[in-house]
Amino acid sequence: MARTLMRFTGVGGQGVLLAGEIFASAKIELGGYGMKTATYTSQVRGGPTVVDITLDDDEIFYPYANDGEIDFMLSVAQVSYDLFKGGVSVGGTIVVDPALVKPSEEDKQKWNIVEIPIITIAKEEVGNVITQSVVALAIANDYTSAVDNDKLKEVMLSKVPKKVHEANLKAYELGIKYAQEARVTHVA
Amino acid sequence: MQTREIISTGNDLAAIAAVDAGCLFFAGYPITPSSEVMHTISDLLPEIGGVAIQMEDEIAGVAAAIGAGMSGVRALTATSGPGISLKAENLGLAQMTEVPLVIVNVMRGGPSTGLPTRVSQGDVRQAKNPSHGDYRSITLCAGNLAECYTEVVRAFNLADRFMQPVFVLTDETIGHMHGKAVIPTEEEVKNGIVPRKKFDGTPEDYRPYGVGSDEPAVLNPMFEGYRYHFTGLHHDSKGFPTEEIETCRKLIQRLEDKVMMHRDELEFNEEFMLDDMTGEEGEVLIIAYGSVSLSAKESIRHLRAQGIKAGLFRPITLWPSPAESIRKYTDMIKNVLCVELNIRQYTEEVERVSSRLDIQGLYKVNGRPISPYEIVNKVKEVF
Repeated sequence: MARTLMRFTGVGGQGVLLAGEIFASAKIELGGYGMKTATYTSQVRGGPTVVDITLDDDEIFYPYANDGEIDFMLSVAQVSYDLFKGGVSVGGTIVVDPALVKPSEEDKQKWNIVEIPIITIAKEEVGNVITQSVVALAIANDYTSAVDNDKLKEVMLSKVPKKVHEANLKAYELGIKYAQEARVTHVA
Repeated sequence: MQTREIISTGNDLAAIAAVDAGCLFFAGYPITPSSEVMHTISDLLPEIGGVAIQMEDEIAGVAAAIGAGMSGVRALTATSGPGISLKAENLGLAQMTEVPLVIVNVMRGGPSTGLPTRVSQGDVRQAKNPSHGDYRSITLCAGNLAECYTEVVRAFNLADRFMQPVFVLTDETIGHMHGKAVIPTEEEVKNGIVPRKKFDGTPEDYRPYGVGSDEPAVLNPMFEGYRYHFTGLHHDSKGFPTEEIETCRKLIQRLEDKVMMHRDELEFNEEFMLDDMTGEEGEVLIIAYGSVSLSAKESIRHLRAQGIKAGLFRPITLWPSPAESIRKYTDMIKNVLCVELNIRQYTEEVERVSSRLDIQGLYKVNGRPISPYEIVNKVKEVF
């Protein structure tokens, strides 16, 4: 496998950090290398946050994603989208929550922009807004096929409290479902 | 060596390392980007009968840790640059009284409060001389996740061997990055612990500072019947203040010599892709340490793929600097590039030990990491 570079962006407090850790851990447990780095501002909540995830079969030295090489980005905040979209390779996929991020027409020419209402899915269909990061995790894996789904789910469950296992599993399945639907719609 | 694989962050690994190395006391004050060291060790220490205290400020954090060191316990504090500035006075006291202590500094942008959440290597010069007076800093610098563990372990052993504070520098990138680390087993670490020397004669004969001219003090733990005195003033063999000319001279000369005459016990470097260097035209020596070395290694992969023979010399013990080893390479290779997340802080040391003023540099001080491509471009631009 060539190197997979993913970027999750949002604002502090949305849980994007955890999604990165889960990806890196799953890849490592499957025998490869995974690295997560996070960049955030000194604002505790509300500051733009970016998580870079590097997955590779070979050893990873530099832990950040090089600008212009990112295969997949997911964004749930306009401020972070605007700041960090430049890192995505031309033609790469950017998934956004359309309620929170409004990509320009120019952006839609440059990247494969996919709109999935991540927050609404977590809030209304799962019933717990915190599960948005797991919805995002599933969507990212569906687009990148970065790691085995069952492994990713297993690692995810090991990192969330037991009482919310069911909600998070539901969030994961919904993420996959919406990603697949969006892909069909997009191709059509 | 028996190893194990851990998926973790640099800060968590530093905390785990301290506990495995026998540290039983932590005192500190939370500061980004080092706080997770305190969070994690606060979970770990009480479970094994140790103590972790959040003190009222940075100064109290180091003072409490020095107190624990005086009572014979392996002690840790963790902070970032602004915290070291506040701790500096007490770090001088620990140098003068020869109290072992480990300080983890997860570097962030400076000066002053600087860039709290962003990466920097701006404290390299500070670590060399955080407070006034003559003494020699022992400063180690972790360059990957595994070393956040192994260098903290090494720091504890060196602190007890040399009887003085030992710095472990990491930075925001390494402290917070999350990935795989292959580290020694707990048993390996426990077996490698060499406790500090103790005097076991009669208390009347005990002279904690009456040691050989290149030896550290022998400080028995307080409250065990061996009475002596701690002071930041120049002191005699029992630790009491004195201004006697020869005693003063010998004391400060001993603080110098106990480190500088035993540099071979301290030097530790990584040589990456240097074994095929012969000194021929066009070869490039990159000198980098800490998180920047990760970028340098990746840049060397790119440079070599493009036919440029490049290699990395990475000091892991920054202070005292590996003077002879640096000189060996700077004598052999003409094109030398220092890459740092500060402005020339270690380059000036490389210039000094190499007696060369044509060392090239790539520096960044805006809180952002240096990417491998920036190094590749710099190499192509200057050589």
